[in-house]
Amino acid sequence: MTTGRPSSTDVRRLLSRIGARLAGAVFVLWMVATITFFAIRLIPGDPAQAYLGGPGSQASAAALEQVRVEYGLDQPLLVQYLSQLSHLVRGDLGVSAAQRTPVATMLSEQLGGTLVLAVAALVVAWLFALGLAVWSTRGGRVSSMIGSGVELVAASLPQFWLATVLISLFSTWLGWLPPVSTGDAIGLVLPVLTLAIPVAGFLAQVMREPLLDARSAPFAVSAAARGESSTGMLLRHGLRHAAVPAVNLSGWAFGYLISGAVVVETIFARPGLGRTLLQAVTVRDVPVVTGVVLVSAAAYVVVMLAADGASALLDPRDRLRRASS
Amino acid sequence: MVAPLALVLAACSPGAPTASSTPVTGGTLVYASGDAEPDCLDPHVGGNYPQALLSAQYLEPLVSRDADGTIIPWLAESWTTSDDGLTWDFTLRPDVTFTDGTPFDAAAVQANIEHLQNPETKSSTGYLAVGKVASVEAVDATTARFTLSSPDSALLESLSQPWTAMESPAGIARGSEANCEAPVGTGPFVVDEWVKQDHVSLVRNEDYASAPEDAAHNGPAYLDGITWRFIPDSASRFAALQSGDVDIIDNAQPDTIKQAEGSKTIVDLDAPRPGASNRIELNSGQAPFDDVRVREAFVRSTDVNAGIESLFFGTAKRSYSPLSSAEATAYSDDSLFGYDLDAANTLLDEAGWTTKDADGVRTKDGVRLTVRFPVSTNQSIPAEQSLFEQIQAGAGEAGFDVQLELLDLSSWYEALGTNAYEAVSAPYTKVGPDVLRILYDSAGIVPAPSGYFANHAQLDDPALDEILTQASDTLDPEERAFLYEQAQQIILDGYYILPLYDQQNHFLLSTSLHGVRALPTVSTPVFADAWLVE
Repeated sequence: MTTGRPSSTDVRRLLSRIGARLAGAVFVLWMVATITFFAIRLIPGDPAQAYLGGPGSQASAAALEQVRVEYGLDQPLLVQYLSQLSHLVRGDLGVSAAQRTPVATMLSEQLGGTLVLAVAALVVAWLFALGLAVWSTRGGRVSSMIGSGVELVAASLPQFWLATVLISLFSTWLGWLPPVSTGDAIGLVLPVLTLAIPVAGFLAQVMREPLLDARSAPFAVSAAARGESSTGMLLRHGLRHAAVPAVNLSGWAFGYLISGAVVVETIFARPGLGRTLLQAVTVRDVPVVTGVVLVSAAAYVVVMLAADGASALLDPRDRLRRASS
Repeated sequence: MVAPLALVLAACSPGAPTASSTPVTGGTLVYASGDAEPDCLDPHVGGNYPQALLSAQYLEPLVSRDADGTIIPWLAESWTTSDDGLTWDFTLRPDVTFTDGTPFDAAAVQANIEHLQNPETKSSTGYLAVGKVASVEAVDATTARFTLSSPDSALLESLSQPWTAMESPAGIARGSEANCEAPVGTGPFVVDEWVKQDHVSLVRNEDYASAPEDAAHNGPAYLDGITWRFIPDSASRFAALQSGDVDIIDNAQPDTIKQAEGSKTIVDLDAPRPGASNRIELNSGQAPFDDVRVREAFVRSTDVNAGIESLFFGTAKRSYSPLSSAEATAYSDDSLFGYDLDAANTLLDEAGWTTKDADGVRTKDGVRLTVRFPVSTNQSIPAEQSLFEQIQAGAGEAGFDVQLELLDLSSWYEALGTNAYEAVSAPYTKVGPDVLRILYDSAGIVPAPSGYFANHAQLDDPALDEILTQASDTLDPEERAFLYEQAQQIILDGYYILPLYDQQNHFLLSTSLHGVRALPTVSTPVFADAWLVE
């Protein structure tokens, strides 16, 4: 067991653990930047063409030359890569080729919308999942079967289909909710539901087993012998058990939500990183694509670290393992 | 001809009292666009259709075109041409002021043409349109003299387009970044705010008084403003119109137009784009389509009408012309395009494609009858892609191996640039029949340094080149129309193209929105005369 005060060994171990994680994160971001750069460049076609208006508007040689020089597209690929990397290291995300505005400005304008969407969806997904898992594990066999069926269906729903159904139901038919973003909370409901329902299905699936286990575990038997009520059991023991795998999965779920934002922001016409990414890919706007992917990857890394820490706090076995190692 | 909205309304909901109702002042129109958000609100930069749609609300060109195809005055009151066609004097409307207070005068016209021709502007559509303008001189405040490098019968049509519309020189002088954010024009609305990825806010120009003569009224708009939203998903856009969150949507797809037909609260504004029709072009520059019999066999082997009927639900009318029906000079010949599989088989036999391989594909000297058909997903709507699949199946019956390839824009340009295609469909929007010269003059086969070329049929006919040059040089409208008819006959008779329909441009409007019309130039809806009722 640990002593009251952390020893210098503990501090060193903690620091090296954090250091390793940070180095890992930097490596991940570097790889992401590299893969994005080459993936978007190795597709055939001349990005300069697409910058100048696209279909129906034919660029003059002079205008094309201007674009190539201005954005360094006339340089060898490796030179372009190194130049971009050196800018990134200095925290400079560059200037959007298509919109001619700094990428950092664009992303800071769009990041908020996507974060609000993803965080709201994650919270709603947790509430749905908890409700569903608790209801279905505490009821009889029928509710258990219904619960697992609902989880399976919810988890496998494609977002674009779900969005269309929700719009038809709540906007076109019932007229309760706007089908496109309105800039206020009411416009957030359908996009959040579209993202939250499949995630809730996944989360409920991983909560179910630990909830069931907790009911028959030795500590549950002894708690029941102490006279603990079943609600108290659930709150004090069951949920904590169920939360550990769900918290671990939340890191993954956050990544799923960020990628889902591309679909959801497009369907519901919400401003955000997803739509920015889609449009940037279409016009092969390399600085913007790299910027969005890097910011998403960074957010993902942060959330994974947070989920890691949270599960360590929740799971006493993990704390024990760490302390005795 | 672009149908005026009144006619469309009458067709959709008989007895709609639009014409008799009185305009109401106030209210903000919400417009939902399915196009990608422009990167720059100044249509001089690049120059695409989404920019044209938006900028038509705040920028105005020197001239316009009426529903009969006649060029009419707008910011220019009148014009004269020298006998050699090289000098054009435009007399400008006096007392017109840009919304930043800068006077609209001959110096402003000069500044605009110079802006278009400056490589730093990165103009492409507008740059091409004023390609024959050598210089512009301000003779006096209201007289702008254009000097051309060679005669250009399309000059007025070129200047009627939103891509060459007039902007405040002081606005341009702010630099490209500021001018992209909020270009300054003379139009009925002013760019107030652009929230990226979300909307552009336009507010009424209280001093507006420069409407073209075919407008319903001259004076400030009835609407307080316009909120221009971007809703890329077709189904969401339509749902937003149904729920009343928006008042008008563009890029209406055949299925939603069909749905709207049953609605009492939505009407369709069908405004085909000018210039070329939507057509499949057959690459006559290489085998197998260097043989006219093989081109005709391809055209005859496929029942295009049945495909359009089933996939467009009657929302698109079959075209038999290289030009859009919005062009008064369009010439059609439906006798050339009848579906006849037997004739197609006979033609292919005659052309020597007599053997078939195990897949049922015709061969000649061991070579398969392959048609590579790159399709740009940016430029073809889903219904059109399905039509291409039907054409693929039809031509397959005759022994063609049609290889459809769905590509993003850059990859599609790459396929064209490397000559890796036998068939292709590329829309081309331009006011006037001079688009034929761009698309079918043999000069259009030679790729620009960028690799781009416009003559995808690779039509190389000296007689056609001569006719197109004459048509571009003549200032006699009748001679010009006759020459363009001859040119279209050559293009159609040679089976270089398979016309499909006009470039589709449907808008769906709430019945609470009145007084909207599409400009007969590039068919963009304008709201200077529009009003909203509850």
